[in-house]
Amino acid sequence: MPAFGSFSLLIALVLSGYNLLAGAVALRQLATGRRGWISPEKLAETARRAGIASFFTTACAAFALVWAAFTNDFSVAYITEHSNRALPAAYKFAALWSGQEGSLLLWAFLLSAYGFVLRVRHKVDVKLTAYASTILAGIQVFFLLLVNVAATPFSLVTGAIPADGNGLNPLLQYPEMVIHPPMLYLGYVGFSVPFAFALGALMMRYPGEKWIHITRRWTMVTWLFLTVGIFLGMHWAYSVLGWGGYWGWDPVENASVMPWLTGTAFLHSVMMQEKRGMMKSWNVWLIFSTFMLAILGTLLTRSGLVSSVHAFAQSAIGTWFWVFLVIVLAVCLFTYVLNRDHLKTEHKLESLVSRESSFLFNNLVLLAACFTVLWGTLFPVLSEYVQGNRVTVSAPFYNRVAVPIGVFLLFLTGIGPLLAWRSTSMRSIRKNFVLPGIVGLLVAIAIIPLGVHPWTIFTTDEQGGFYAWITFAMAAAVITAIFAEFWRGGKVIQQKSGQNLLTSMVQLTRRNTRRYGGYIVHFGIVLIFIGISGQAFNQSHEQTMNYKQSFMLGPYTIECLDYSQDSNPNYDTEFALLNVYRGGHLVTQLSPELRVYAASQQPSTIVANHSTLAWDLYVIYAGKDPGTGQPVIKAFLNPLVAWIWIGLIVTIIGTGIALAPNLSAAIAAQRHRAVVAPEVVAAGKAGD
Amino acid sequence: MTTLACGLLMIGAFFYVFWPERNVEAQHSKTRLEYLRERREVLYDNLRDLNFEYRSGKYPEEDYAAQRATLENEAAETVAEIELLESDAFAPQHS
Amino acid sequence: MRRLSRLALLPLLVVLGVVTLGSADTEARYNDLGHKMMCVCGCSEILIECNHVGCPDSDRMLGELKAAIASGDTNDAVLEAFQEKYGPTVLAAPLLTRFNIVAWVVPPTVLVLGLAGTFMLVKKWRLRTVAMPAVADDPASVELRARIRKETEL
Repeated sequence: MPAFGSFSLLIALVLSGYNLLAGAVALRQLATGRRGWISPEKLAETARRAGIASFFTTACAAFALVWAAFTNDFSVAYITEHSNRALPAAYKFAALWSGQEGSLLLWAFLLSAYGFVLRVRHKVDVKLTAYASTILAGIQVFFLLLVNVAATPFSLVTGAIPADGNGLNPLLQYPEMVIHPPMLYLGYVGFSVPFAFALGALMMRYPGEKWIHITRRWTMVTWLFLTVGIFLGMHWAYSVLGWGGYWGWDPVENASVMPWLTGTAFLHSVMMQEKRGMMKSWNVWLIFSTFMLAILGTLLTRSGLVSSVHAFAQSAIGTWFWVFLVIVLAVCLFTYVLNRDHLKTEHKLESLVSRESSFLFNNLVLLAACFTVLWGTLFPVLSEYVQGNRVTVSAPFYNRVAVPIGVFLLFLTGIGPLLAWRSTSMRSIRKNFVLPGIVGLLVAIAIIPLGVHPWTIFTTDEQGGFYAWITFAMAAAVITAIFAEFWRGGKVIQQKSGQNLLTSMVQLTRRNTRRYGGYIVHFGIVLIFIGISGQAFNQSHEQTMNYKQSFMLGPYTIECLDYSQDSNPNYDTEFALLNVYRGGHLVTQLSPELRVYAASQQPSTIVANHSTLAWDLYVIYAGKDPGTGQPVIKAFLNPLVAWIWIGLIVTIIGTGIALAPNLSAAIAAQRHRAVVAPEVVAAGKAGD
Repeated sequence: MTTLACGLLMIGAFFYVFWPERNVEAQHSKTRLEYLRERREVLYDNLRDLNFEYRSGKYPEEDYAAQRATLENEAAETVAEIELLESDAFAPQHS
Repeated sequence: MRRLSRLALLPLLVVLGVVTLGSADTEARYNDLGHKMMCVCGCSEILIECNHVGCPDSDRMLGELKAAIASGDTNDAVLEAFQEKYGPTVLAAPLLTRFNIVAWVVPPTVLVLGLAGTFMLVKKWRLRTVAMPAVADDPASVELRARIRKETEL
């Protein structure tokens, strides 16, 4: 099986190489009108098929690796390092992405899967797809070269075949870890598709803006995967790493957030191009940068350039990524310089106060945020270069620098939707801003007695309270603005159709799924902001506990009922059983655990979390008191964390709605037919 | 066994890629007509949006009238050219 | 016996209460400073949040931090002492010294410059007024426009 895997990868490389070469030759011939001994169309068709076939061969390789994991084939070095016999089945599957080589194979596989869909659906626009497919083949060649030459997943162990493997890192033995990496990779890899389309459209000097329409869903789906991937990672960090938080500003986390920020900017600014034909160069560079940031992120985390908790073996793979990044940049620059006149447009804005200018500012702020994260991630390297010593740039830096930018972004989220395209009348602004403004102000006042004290920023070094206060107030205003937007739109539909307001609002959303789905995404993001702000009010308590001993944290009393230990083939475990009381009543029982995995001898905490809408009571088993053998229990009271996960679900729903086709398109088609057959109109109207 | 699987994979891929195909999808450049139809859709969408936002009270009357006139003019030009090209369907003009 | 032990606990509780009262500030400083430094064991975690079982450094470092606070050092003195001992990477974010100022200044500068640039761009792109376009009034054009209006109404 390992031989079959290696061979499949080799075939996949050959196929992708052929796709790239034949595709490029065919496109060149078609562009110049010169013919070879085979018609360029036929050549292009073979290239496309090679691309499709490369998906199957890469899939065979991925299957071979998973098969090796399931059959405990420890002759494969990768399987020895990342799996063992006692590992549960689901995690054997996860072995595919738990190490360097496997995750690169996964990357190559997902890339070819995206390519497969793109190549199969080539009838959308044969020529544009041919360009995109060829560019994608170029990216595939790089990743397949990596897994064929630099990081081979099927290398065999030297010497005798071991009886058992080293096992999977226990931190990764958690259900989310089975979904989080593929999601994140789907996000990273997915940006290759809009990138390929953009580069292709620029190369062929594609007339019009239809390519944006074609790539829109790709971009949204990719964005959704990346979002879900990032948040699953947060949830995993929160539930597994057991330090009471979900975001540590680690370089790997930063690496995932950078393309997310530029990708978000891209999703917004393409609307300017679709609607107004503006910002063409900007958009092209936005998607170029997004793709390059995805590659840069991989480079940062795998080359050992910056230190990170995410343990990927540091290796020479970094050089490969450097070279690839330089090539990509060179190709982008070259294509842009050659065809930049194609992107020339006349930019005109009717008014300073318009949706267009709000998009400009939104883009700026998203990019400033991205720059800040990049800057913070790379500053240690810069510092070493300039002043000879490394420094750490971690949470305190981002809390001070990135949080204000985030708050500003929240502000724009509220304003943007209230502005109309082209220009907005002052009267309407006044009218539309009053209600959110009042609600925001009321909330700002109302939360002060609840313990949100903005003035702490002046009296102490602590800024959290101040930002939380602003965020809560602004979140209230933005949510009001979003609902007002639905309400206003619903009213218009209601006047027209006479349905009730709720039906009208549903109708409204279905008629412009992208806009109103987008608003729902905004709503989700605001909820996430609220959840994150809760951080400012975290409390914690650590104590060694004997039977019947208890302590208080916030409204809860935590009492130790029992503690014990147990063991099974995969791990040994110590745990405590805690009763949680609130106001004298038993609320729940928590059982935090500490596991030591047999294969790796690595400890891992299993967090016990009692989550409510108001706060999470988050308890970990921090270890044993060496003197008494009693458990050391650390408890956190983390307010509002649940809202982050709720916000994520709302965001997913919103993106789903935005992905759905518009009803208005159907109506338009109906109207179009109506011109031909007037009697259909009457029927259609009656049904409205 | 492995050799057989590898051989099958290679042969399968080879035949799939180079199997002679009669009806190859032609790569044509976008015609002027297609471009104009796309353009019309965009302009129509903009007009619908404009109408909608006017109804929900985001524009003053005179701004609305001016912008609608601009968009309608542009749409009218586009539609007129589409109709000209459609009536001339036997000799489609390439961009 | 139990009663007795409970009685014995009482003075302890009182003492504890007094100590914690006095140490409310110390506790906050401990927490604050603990968040401003990193654990040096290579886990890349914030010192006070480092939760390795058997971490070789964090317990000792936290002990040092407690001692430093108890000895009455100012926050800055504590941070500098730690930096002296463990090197600059122990600080979770660079201090405002020498080149490190750049780390703090650049992002806001970029944002402000960007904002100014965007403002100028918007001003440059902006049309002064929306002119009412000239409308052709030949019957074909009028009819076409009427049709478009009909097709695009809500």
